[in-house]
Amino acid sequence: MNFVLKVGVSALAMAVASSAAYADDSFWKEAAKPYQDVTLRGVTESTPPSNYIREVLAPEFEELTGIRVDIETTSWDQMYDKAIKDMEAGTGIYDMIYIEQDIVYSYLSRDFLTDTTKLLADNPSLKAPTYSENNFTTFANYFRGENDHLYGIPMEAFIKIYLYRTDLFNDPDIKAAFKDQTGRDLVPATTHAEYAEIAQFFTTWGKDHDMDLWGTTAQAHTGHPASWYEFFESIAPTFGIYNWGIDANNNYAASVANGGAMNSAEAKEAMKWWLSMRDIAPPESNASTWTEVGTTFGAGRAAQGLVYGENAGWIAADETKSLVVGNVGVALPPLQDGILDEVEGGTGYIGYYDGGAFGIPATSKSQEAAMLFLQYIGQDQVQPDWAVAAPRVTNKTTYDDPKVQAMNDELGGYYDLLRDKGYLFAGAPAYPFHAQVREATAPILYEILTGDLGPEEGLDQMAAKAESELTDLGYRK
Amino acid sequence: MQSNKLGWILLAPTLVILFFFGVLPFLYVVFVSFHQWNPFAASPEMIFNGAENFRRIVFDDAFLNSLGVTAAFVVFAVFSELIIGYLLAQAFMKEFPGKSLFRTIHTLPLIMAPIIVGSVWKLMTTPSIGIIPHYLDEWFGITMNIGTSAPVAFMTIVIMDIWHWTPLVTLTLIAALVSLPRDPFEQAQIDGANKAQTFWHITLPMITPAVVATVFIRLMDAMRTVDEVWMLTGGGPGSSTRFLGVHIFKEVFPKTNYGYGSTISVIVLYLTIVVCWLLYVSMLAPRKNRKG
Amino acid sequence: MKKRNPLLTTIFWIFISLLTLFPIYWLFVISVKPAVQLFSTPDLIVDNPYWGNYTEVLGNRLLRSYMINSLVISTGNAVLCTVLGFFTCYALSRFQFRGKESIFFWTITNRMAPPAVFLLPLFLLMTQVYRIGDFTLLDTRIGMILVYCTFNLPFAIWTLRPTIDAIPRELDEAAYVDGASPWKVITEIVVPLCRPGLAVTLILTWVFAWNEYLLAATLTNFEARTLTTGLSEYVTTTGTEWGIMATISVFTLIPALIVFGLVQKHIVAGLTFGAVKG
Repeated sequence: MNFVLKVGVSALAMAVASSAAYADDSFWKEAAKPYQDVTLRGVTESTPPSNYIREVLAPEFEELTGIRVDIETTSWDQMYDKAIKDMEAGTGIYDMIYIEQDIVYSYLSRDFLTDTTKLLADNPSLKAPTYSENNFTTFANYFRGENDHLYGIPMEAFIKIYLYRTDLFNDPDIKAAFKDQTGRDLVPATTHAEYAEIAQFFTTWGKDHDMDLWGTTAQAHTGHPASWYEFFESIAPTFGIYNWGIDANNNYAASVANGGAMNSAEAKEAMKWWLSMRDIAPPESNASTWTEVGTTFGAGRAAQGLVYGENAGWIAADETKSLVVGNVGVALPPLQDGILDEVEGGTGYIGYYDGGAFGIPATSKSQEAAMLFLQYIGQDQVQPDWAVAAPRVTNKTTYDDPKVQAMNDELGGYYDLLRDKGYLFAGAPAYPFHAQVREATAPILYEILTGDLGPEEGLDQMAAKAESELTDLGYRK
Repeated sequence: MQSNKLGWILLAPTLVILFFFGVLPFLYVVFVSFHQWNPFAASPEMIFNGAENFRRIVFDDAFLNSLGVTAAFVVFAVFSELIIGYLLAQAFMKEFPGKSLFRTIHTLPLIMAPIIVGSVWKLMTTPSIGIIPHYLDEWFGITMNIGTSAPVAFMTIVIMDIWHWTPLVTLTLIAALVSLPRDPFEQAQIDGANKAQTFWHITLPMITPAVVATVFIRLMDAMRTVDEVWMLTGGGPGSSTRFLGVHIFKEVFPKTNYGYGSTISVIVLYLTIVVCWLLYVSMLAPRKNRKG
Repeated sequence: MKKRNPLLTTIFWIFISLLTLFPIYWLFVISVKPAVQLFSTPDLIVDNPYWGNYTEVLGNRLLRSYMINSLVISTGNAVLCTVLGFFTCYALSRFQFRGKESIFFWTITNRMAPPAVFLLPLFLLMTQVYRIGDFTLLDTRIGMILVYCTFNLPFAIWTLRPTIDAIPRELDEAAYVDGASPWKVITEIVVPLCRPGLAVTLILTWVFAWNEYLLAATLTNFEARTLTTGLSEYVTTTGTEWGIMATISVFTLIPALIVFGLVQKHIVAGLTFGAVKG
């Protein structure tokens, strides 16, 4: 199959639009009557799920209701900035904004968002019969406020998973050589030690056979926060360091001396392990963000690696972009001993549950009409085609759809993993200062990556910097 | 001479536009620079904190580092552009076959958007798969990794800037050389001056205004470079290419630190003005005054 | 002077030209490669070009509207800056004011501002202060034309000043004595004499406006988005579409090339930045 992930898929748009004659058309037409001259404006990051909204769902909604929807898609940094400027200044440009899971707590802390639960409760005539908050997977809980009300309608959700090359892992020569060398069978790793062994094996194998092949990937850019995210969201938790090692219940302590864990022995071990993997990853890793990690894997340059779920789809199934189509397996990330039990027991998480939602800024002048659109994209009925065009699942019933099931097989069981093991993953910690602390500490991490700072010393400095930034921001007293 | 009223009428639109889009925003930035303001701090409103931001900036290692690398970048890039631009301009003064074609080719980089230049150079220099590291390794066995080596990243940006902006320097210097009077050179030849003497005593003094004007434009633009560096290295490895433009961008965009970011901007603007003013006064203004 | 070997000269220029052209060539190479080939071993020569990126870009209605916005904004801005820059320089050159040099220098300082931090006040002013009823300057072409004046007008003034200073005052004074109006003097005597200067100012301001990214990215949303902001739509967390980006870049080069080609012969004559001639 050749996925249509791209923009400008007008043929697909037409096909879906014509088949979208749902039984409850009358509700939408009726509910939309007061808003005929409204134009809804939304801003989102230019990703396949968002492009699907712009190219397919928005035109469909407009045809059904007569309410025009303009979606602005832009880059990752710009998306935050534009939404924040609009809401901070109270301009009311946007009726809908993309809320990345990691910024939702910042927005909630400033009351930037409209309470959708309350909006629907106050306006029963707006409530679509096909929309229910119960339709969403647990990912929706990240967009609930303290009153347990929903402030954003989930539109994409992924987990960062362990990808490995099934063709290499099943190659008889390789299997034999691996067994020979290590005395155990070549199967996806469950612990860091196993992962490192496999990584080392493949990097050597690539060198010996003059192949462009390495044993692991690393999202280790030395000037972009992607590396910061890989460490704190994907590596540190598997060593038992959760929430960036900052203790929110203890005056936001980060350093061990004050009761935090950012520079704990486990964190330092995690850092050293990550650096050792980075050293045997392809040379571009030091200039790799999430994008390039996906590309590296898709180009067949890595035997295994941690890759964002957003990218799993095209890596596994889009032959216009990927050289490893059909050869991708998915598994849970490798862990230290005892972490899985700990997480199963309700403490911590093993990786990042990534994604975002559409919310209505409190400053929007067309909140009711926007609510209609958000319900429209939150319906179970629109999900399967959306999930096929841009692999993301936000509603429980989507997993059971035959089209999604078929795709699950192509993606090596990624959707099964998301459904069955999604609870082991978590979104960003509930900090309103997400980007601030990240940016304050990231330059030190870059220096650790370049080798200008040792991992231990570097983490000590990062913990101290995090605390001083939190003091400056007024969170740490 | 006509009345000054006409003069003011001619000036008015420029002054009005620059007032509304230059001065007012600037005053706002100055106002904010005396405040602590981060919309995601525990207290999100603007809080007046006097000169605290300005006091802090003096001891801010990140800012000082950024200032240092920017200064190094500006010096390296602008000097190289000046020298290469001058040599090429001199070369263009001679007649040779295909001259206008070569001159057109030489001006092409000028028309590329900085964000595109940054993207192309990023793809060309991606470690191991970019074409430059690939052939350096294959032909010369040299490993070039822009993600780990600070000097390599820095020099790549300098070379990229030279590639992008030398044409502007060449063009302005050609213009200056073309307009030089012939007589002094003929006289110098008669007096038996050698090439170096001719350059130092005749050419250089006469093209100084053009050189200063060019340096001025390049200096202003290099001090505020963002797009290319943002695309190519994002300020890395470490903070080795975190130039002032990038530093301010990171401070006010992801970090939403509007108060302190404004302070840095005010200081940077002030420094740029001082440097340019010194250049301007020392090199150009006296000349103009003498004439006027 | 010694005669150089013409062959060596030609080889030298071919070498320089190859260095200059290479990144542009590489941009083209990226635009004709399918994504799947981008991260494999690079080849210098493309033997089997892939035109999918081009059909996709040409078929994209949004990009077409971005292209039109870019054309309108850069042309409008270049014309405005050249005309106003000319007026300003004429005034500075022909009239006596107190603080004339300070005005001149002050106009230039507007180009020195680091852009990132000025986006917030510009955003606030354009949405909340500069408005008539519901009409605001944000996300309008006219708004962008005016905003771009902050960096292009100083440049225009800086470039045109020496050109106008170099035109002998006696010429316009003689015309005034003959009873010509200022308008007539400007349009019939001064403008024709500084045509090359005006041409080069026009083209360079046009190129700067055409290539601007950061201001346009923040200050436009739907109606006035430009091609450079369109580029950033392809840098995403799920993969940067380098091929599409390169293709759009190739398209941004074409109008710039045409405009540049038109005034190529004026460029050198016009760039007399502070040359001693005056």
